[in-house]
Amino acid sequence: MDTLVQALINGIAVGGFLTLMVLGFSIIWGVMGVINFAHGEFIMVGAYMAWYARSEWGVEPLYSALPIFLIMFVVGFVLQKLVVNKVIDRPHLVSLLVMFAVSIIMSNSVKLIAGADFRRVNSDIQRGFWELGDIATIPRKHTVVLVVAIIVLVALQTFLQKTRLGKSIRAAAQNREAAQIVGIDIKWVYAFTFALCIGITAMSGALTSTIIPVFPFMGPPWALRAFVITALSGLGSVKGTLGAAMFLGLLESLVATYAPGSSGSQLAVITAFGLLVVTLVLRPQGLFGGLRPVDAGGH
Amino acid sequence: MNKAVFKTIGLVLAALLVAMLFFLPMLGHYGNDSTLFTVTLLLASVGTAISWNLTGGFTGYVDFGHAVWWGIGAYTTGVLMSNESEWIPQQWPLVPALIVSMFFTALVANLVGRLTMRLSGPYFSIAMLGFFVFFREVVRVVGPLTNRGIGLTIKPVINRPLWYYITLIFVLFLVYLSWWLRRTRFGASLIAIREDEIGAEMRGIDTTRNKVMVFTLSGAITGLLGGMWAYQNTFLDPDIAFVEVRTIDAVMGTMLGGLGTVAGPIIGMVFLFVLRELLWTQESLLQTHLIVQGLLLGAVVLYLPKGLMGLVRGEVAFLDRFRERSSTFDGMESAVLEAQESSISDSENEHPNDPVAMHPTWDGRTS
Repeated sequence: MDTLVQALINGIAVGGFLTLMVLGFSIIWGVMGVINFAHGEFIMVGAYMAWYARSEWGVEPLYSALPIFLIMFVVGFVLQKLVVNKVIDRPHLVSLLVMFAVSIIMSNSVKLIAGADFRRVNSDIQRGFWELGDIATIPRKHTVVLVVAIIVLVALQTFLQKTRLGKSIRAAAQNREAAQIVGIDIKWVYAFTFALCIGITAMSGALTSTIIPVFPFMGPPWALRAFVITALSGLGSVKGTLGAAMFLGLLESLVATYAPGSSGSQLAVITAFGLLVVTLVLRPQGLFGGLRPVDAGGH
Repeated sequence: MNKAVFKTIGLVLAALLVAMLFFLPMLGHYGNDSTLFTVTLLLASVGTAISWNLTGGFTGYVDFGHAVWWGIGAYTTGVLMSNESEWIPQQWPLVPALIVSMFFTALVANLVGRLTMRLSGPYFSIAMLGFFVFFREVVRVVGPLTNRGIGLTIKPVINRPLWYYITLIFVLFLVYLSWWLRRTRFGASLIAIREDEIGAEMRGIDTTRNKVMVFTLSGAITGLLGGMWAYQNTFLDPDIAFVEVRTIDAVMGTMLGGLGTVAGPIIGMVFLFVLRELLWTQESLLQTHLIVQGLLLGAVVLYLPKGLMGLVRGEVAFLDRFRERSSTFDGMESAVLEAQESSISDSENEHPNDPVAMHPTWDGRTS
């Protein structure tokens, strides 16, 4: 019973940071129709920035997250203008291959600069556990990430629902032509969306750098999870992403807890992937049915 | 210059290259074991690119996890030939081990293809990347069979020149196979699937069967190459058997040379190899070859989508002709826009009523 409670708590914690990690991937796909193959690499870059800030200047990842968000927002804006804009109207395959190239460049550049070693970021704030009686312990670092994730999700949901720019983003996702006709500057909306999502993704990398091992080629498994979650939840839906991320987090946590021997983490990857295949195969004609635009769930 | 001149130049260059490769082991200094090992690996990666091109180029299904077949083939050979596997401690001789590797990889590719070949475009690509990560973890989990993550050792008995010739002949056979396949009815049906899958199906092509067949063939070839690599490398563990770079190389080489052409993967891989050797001779550039490769891939996709072959022939962008295979892809856009787009791309086709003849000069042949 105690193990089960502990597994569930871990699952919710993992689901929290997965949501934060995956949201950017889902929104970029939903709004721009670009599959960001380099998604995992943006998480990696965020984590490396947090590691650098921590080891060079002693700044906690929790505090460096906001500057990292701003820096990567600018990077994302520039990248969208220089590269992504060129492929946005072309078939998915072109954008997929270009983002594949971006991911190779990013991971190998980081390897060149920082080396291929595994890094783990220490944090004083996020050290230790809260004990829940004798039943279970809650790792503090997961809680911090979960709280930040919830704040970001609420902020993002409010932004998409209430603000003018947020509404423009949803409009652009629903019908690009019509959005242009009513006077939405589609190029600005795309650049802003991409920049925002890259910023959030890098920030999620910074925050989770205390939890997951950081190395140049850490990206692909996270990009894979992003795809699994997006496949389950539908494109660009904040609530759907939260639900699917929680589901995957709980599933992985249960597998890791009850797996025999030390094969837990490997089996968790296998589970995530099995889920992807099952979803894809059961809905081969497209996962999203009547493909939902950004956050249709809000109505 | 007309096409015949290009064809002649191409054939002369190809003949020179093959002659050079055949005499390489006899060239004293240049024919030492280390050179032969390097060139054997180059040949193997040319073979991988050719097999990738069968699904990625001819059929239009871009496989981002192709290296998985290499890994499975390598591990099958490793498990059979090594005495470190608990379940199969017998040390098999080379030839049966390679044959079993090829058939086993073909079997797995067939089963995987039945699932993933039903997916369209990006879903297929990412599902294959998933299978790649999946099998690497599976190899770690099935400890008694694969000696866990520690790896397997194969007894090193190898005659490098002989092995070099075997690889060379096999890769030449693959070039021929790909050239021949392109000319068969089956090859034509693959091109038809790439250009317009629904149209191909309506014309009576059993698309699912053909897709799974070419995928199985592609997997079997790469599996055999993986097994051959395991034998000459004499050691393998999950991290060197399942390497993303092998997929990157195959995609990259094919894209660079010319996606969906017979000569493309060869030209591209040789170009890539020369580039890499040039970078490696400079100490300061040693680490940068993958970065350069990434930049090159981006540039090729954006500015040279038909690769070097397209440059030679002066042909138009080809990737833009990839038809979206499912209406769900562009669900963001209105149905009206979709209809407009498809009518535009139809009018671009020279033979809108015949998907097979859409690219009459695809590989230098006029239909």
